Amino acid sequence: MIRRMIAAVAAATVALAPAAAITPAQAADPVVFTVGMLNDIDSLNPFTGILAESYEMFQLQYATLLSSSATDFTPAPGLAESWEESADGSTWTYKLRPDLVWSDGTPLTANDVVYTFNRILDGRYEQRNYGSYVRNITSVEATDDRTVVMTVAAPSPIMERLAVYILPEHVWSGVDAKAVKSFANEPEAGQTLVGSGPFLVTERRSGQFIRMVANDTYFNGRPAVDELVFRVYNNPDALGQALIKGEVDFASGLTADVFSTLEGKEGITTYAGGYSGFNELAFNMGAALTDGTPIGDGNPHMQDQQVRLAISHAIDRQQLVDRILDGYGTPGSTVIPPVYPTLHVDPGTQSYDPALANQILDDAGYAMGPDGVRVGPDGEPMRYRLFVRSDSDTSVRSGEFFKNYMAAVGIEAEIKPVDENALFEIIGRGEFDMFEWGWVVEPDPDYQLSTFTCGKRSYEDGGEIYADLSDSFFCDEEYDRLYSAQAVETDQTARAALVQQMQTIIYDQVAYVVTYYYDNLEAFRSDRFTGFVGQPEGTGSLLFQYGTHSYEAVEPISADDGGTDPTSSPSPGATTAAEEPAETAQSSSSTGLIIGLIVAALVIIGLVVLLVRMRSKSAADTKE
Amino acid sequence: MSLLQEVAVGEPDPIRTPRVSGSTLRVVVSKVVRAIITLAFVVVFNFFLFRMLPGDPIGLYTRGRNQDAEQIAQLRRDLNKPLWEQFITYISNPFDPGIDSTRFSRPVWELIGERIWPTILLLGTAIVLASIIGIWLGIRAGWKPGGRFDKVSTGTTLTLYSMPEFWLGMMLLIVFGVGAFGIPGFFPVGGISTPGVDTSSPAGWLNVLWHLVLPCTTLLLIYLADYALVMRASLIDERKQEYLMLARAKGLRDAMVRKKHAVPNALLPTITLIFLSLGFVVTGAITVETVYSWPGLGLLTYEALRGPDIPLLQAVFLVFSIAVVGANLIAELLYIVIDPRVRQ
Repeated sequence: MIRRMIAAVAAATVALAPAAAITPAQAADPVVFTVGMLNDIDSLNPFTGILAESYEMFQLQYATLLSSSATDFTPAPGLAESWEESADGSTWTYKLRPDLVWSDGTPLTANDVVYTFNRILDGRYEQRNYGSYVRNITSVEATDDRTVVMTVAAPSPIMERLAVYILPEHVWSGVDAKAVKSFANEPEAGQTLVGSGPFLVTERRSGQFIRMVANDTYFNGRPAVDELVFRVYNNPDALGQALIKGEVDFASGLTADVFSTLEGKEGITTYAGGYSGFNELAFNMGAALTDGTPIGDGNPHMQDQQVRLAISHAIDRQQLVDRILDGYGTPGSTVIPPVYPTLHVDPGTQSYDPALANQILDDAGYAMGPDGVRVGPDGEPMRYRLFVRSDSDTSVRSGEFFKNYMAAVGIEAEIKPVDENALFEIIGRGEFDMFEWGWVVEPDPDYQLSTFTCGKRSYEDGGEIYADLSDSFFCDEEYDRLYSAQAVETDQTARAALVQQMQTIIYDQVAYVVTYYYDNLEAFRSDRFTGFVGQPEGTGSLLFQYGTHSYEAVEPISADDGGTDPTSSPSPGATTAAEEPAETAQSSSSTGLIIGLIVAALVIIGLVVLLVRMRSKSAADTKE
Repeated sequence: MSLLQEVAVGEPDPIRTPRVSGSTLRVVVSKVVRAIITLAFVVVFNFFLFRMLPGDPIGLYTRGRNQDAEQIAQLRRDLNKPLWEQFITYISNPFDPGIDSTRFSRPVWELIGERIWPTILLLGTAIVLASIIGIWLGIRAGWKPGGRFDKVSTGTTLTLYSMPEFWLGMMLLIVFGVGAFGIPGFFPVGGISTPGVDTSSPAGWLNVLWHLVLPCTTLLLIYLADYALVMRASLIDERKQEYLMLARAKGLRDAMVRKKHAVPNALLPTITLIFLSLGFVVTGAITVETVYSWPGLGLLTYEALRGPDIPLLQAVFLVFSIAVVGANLIAELLYIVIDPRVRQ
């Protein structure tokens, strides 16, 4: 009896399966581009969210005055079609594009821009994410519907980099200064959020996905895909599997091991794009408060430039790239990564040369001791604490490499793994000799460069010492002078020259040994989508850029096309497997649904049969 | 319990119809009171635990924000109430809807409310199925220890039990989610529903069910061994009891002896185990929720820890404590019902 029923269900499955495969082939289906990522967003409220994933949503939902070009990050038009600084540098005038509208049809005018900036200027909570952009702005006015004039306290190049999301006044005026703190800004009952970017959020499930639809009123034209979905996967292996299966079309932020398993897979293109992040070995160059009061217990040897230089020569950066990053990165030099070609400079003088490192130490009076550890001129052995981040596998592994490199030149590093939160405070109190960490650098170099100024060293408040941005306690008069000069230099070329000079000072003084610039590992279904734009073009990341370039350009490969458009081959860094039209992947979800139905039915039938069987059996038992 | 009770045919079964006496009520009240005291202690401890954590809360709160040292120092001066004042605010209502998460800037209880249902669905289904199947396996195996069924089922469950949850989940995901060895990948790789599907419709429920299959199976396979082995062991113990010999002597069929006499007594330790394990399944859930990207409490805990988001962690800990204390209380109360000895 049971066997017969199972056979019947199986037969039904067979009968249903082709039907399931046919239904989704209807032409009216929207084109959905699904991105898999490893972190959920923290908030859709642009005054609250701080994660990179959240910023991706903000810039898709809300346009900014200016954007960063895909070619080389130079300022490019956004909502404003043109902008200019007044001759005396005291005001900036932004001219909006004509006929801008919000997605609900309301005109987008200069008043919305003024509203957004004033809200940040007046709001303490609102300043949390945008404080540094408005610090220099004294007033924001609309002289007509399309013109915004901002008055600044001092000339500043940041006025071309205002990454402030312009919000619709007619929506946000209903959210007051108190309500904004816990305002989720999530769509309700199928309504899309009112915005001005290429896509609009229409549904968000915490921990699961964010669903967006193309904005018909977007000023650059409606994107080619109809829906954009971001799905959250909580481990990189599952994300890789989801790409193979076709549950997602694009996998972002992959780990090297998952990335290499995807290489050469049919229909998938792997892409190691240059990224704006670097890792470093940092030194305690004399921890102090902003007023110069020494703090902490750093070893004084670290204040000797020759010691730091020797360590720099002792480190094999290429080997770190090969062994720690599996080759997905480039050896490091200065603190502005090469993805910013107009700003990056590589003096190239600190090559891997252990013999030279030994020579430098010998000359500087650090003689080799009997136990293989050198002894300094002060009679103290070269034995230092090296902190690594226990929550990062690459950090812990780098630490082992550093230890060996230094041992080869007679320096003993004592590895101390602590978690990032603890390390942040240890650094702030100056209680370290060396540590391993990293930074992600924005297109505007100001923030990164500020971390090496004297004014960003630790400070005291209420008897406690707190960390500011400086973690090397580097403090140099000439550097600070250049920093102030670049902060008011609005000519991009002149500013780049200053920025390069500053990088060279940090490099020569060896405040950091920049170990490597890591790649952003991405992979996508090249059998389904094409047209991605790297930033910078040809070598940089395809998604999670400064701007929404790829989202606007990505398009589906038409059914009869069968392969990628040869003209849009993404970059030299890409490896593409032989491409063949994949099975209709969009059908998988509805096919799956039907299979789910069948499985559920099977389970229920099975349970019923089991129950009936048990009943009759126990009835038989009692009869006996 | 005496043999006579078992033999008396036609008498109401003492196991099925407990009589509530004055002493039973006293036992119940004392157990409930004890649970409440435990909870009260947890609530207080919970407050101090997170304040004993090393670190500067303002520093954690403002890390990654676009704020300068001056703005942070101002915030520090604003949020400097003495500990006892903080404690009074907290203790007056630990479930205050005004407590916001520092990471998500939303009320913590709202976040927990969103995430608790997926966890209850996943764990609930897995535990119910695991206990039914586990007990059944344990009975079959324990009644004829050393038999072929026993060898196969004990071997299988032990093997599953020793597999790391993460690995087993990943294997199921690759084989049944993506497809391998000629098995097509029927089930989704992750999530609780397909984006765009309305989960309040019947089709949506099925979609959730379809997503539930793999994570639930993973947990089920892992918990199975626990229940099956304990059930087996206690049934083997029970087989040696003299009342079973008597039951057989009456001429009852073997299945009848097993079902009516041996199993009810052997069930006791298994039920205790099931309820005690409820408190610990949370850890397993974190792993499985990570493998299958299941948006439950386990994941929320993980996200809260990365901040760390102290208010959210505090609330999640409170929920877990209530779950453990609650499960223990239920187990103790259930004992009164199923084990007459406790009532005496």
